[in-house]
Amino acid sequence: MSGGADPLLTFEVGEAHAALPLSMVREVVDCPPIVPVPGSHPHVAGVTLSGGVAVPVYDLRLFPAFWDPPTSAAGGGQPRHLIIVGYGEVVVALLGARTDLLERVEPETPESAGEDPIRREFVRGVVKSGARSIALLDPERLFASLGVPADGFRSTREDEREENPAG
Amino acid sequence: MKLLMVSVGAGRYAVAAEAVAKIMDPALDPGFRHEGNSAEAIHDGTRYPVVEIDPGARGAGGLYLLLGKGGARALMPVDSAESIQDVSGTAIAPLPTFIFAGARRPVRGIFADGRTPRLLLDLDTFL
Repeated sequence: MSGGADPLLTFEVGEAHAALPLSMVREVVDCPPIVPVPGSHPHVAGVTLSGGVAVPVYDLRLFPAFWDPPTSAAGGGQPRHLIIVGYGEVVVALLGARTDLLERVEPETPESAGEDPIRREFVRGVVKSGARSIALLDPERLFASLGVPADGFRSTREDEREENPAG
Repeated sequence: MKLLMVSVGAGRYAVAAEAVAKIMDPALDPGFRHEGNSAEAIHDGTRYPVVEIDPGARGAGGLYLLLGKGGARALMPVDSAESIQDVSGTAIAPLPTFIFAGARRPVRGIFADGRTPRLLLDLDTFL
């Protein structure tokens, strides 16, 4: 199973315990100012600046397809961290609470997730930490469903554009 | 590039100053008329389309920017117009297009401006 025994970054979102491979995570920071963008998808909380690059911030609580049942999105703690992830050439961020590291745990099959409220299609495996079941997310499936292309955007500066930047 | 800083509700935006022909306060301009949420307004006998940055977000303020680019003209309601700043193109990070839910992409970039970043409007969407 890919993603096997890699270290994981765990976090809480809604009522769920989730994890991503640490190798994808570029940075975890306290939530900076996030600017809502008119016309963006409902699950895009906004955009923030990180190192001079515009980073879209996704709030999985606002993505109904992620949850089963959908009401599970409403629980849990307020997300205080921004998990900045490299996905192909794209940099995106997820909102999360109670981030932590989990060292080299072999995931079990998604079927062992029990009552975990994340839809199985987004779960690559399940890891146990004490009494907790943590859903190891399938990044490809998740980000594709969020509308993030793996290689569809190159972060450039405004002055690298060919047309008049004034619009 | 010179940018006019404006706000709409809690949103902080910037628009290319060269595209702003006039800033109008309807309370002080007897030649201006915009009724309710009509898609058009009249200024000095000329009818203009009214374009909203974020429909429904506007607060109690009431200024209008007369925008022009090429032969296109439009009026954009804003709550306030704050300042004009010279912002380097290198300071403006373009937004990824995949965050938008539809073809309408009213914002093209983001730049640092004090504690909270500010969004640069894409006038191609409005004109």
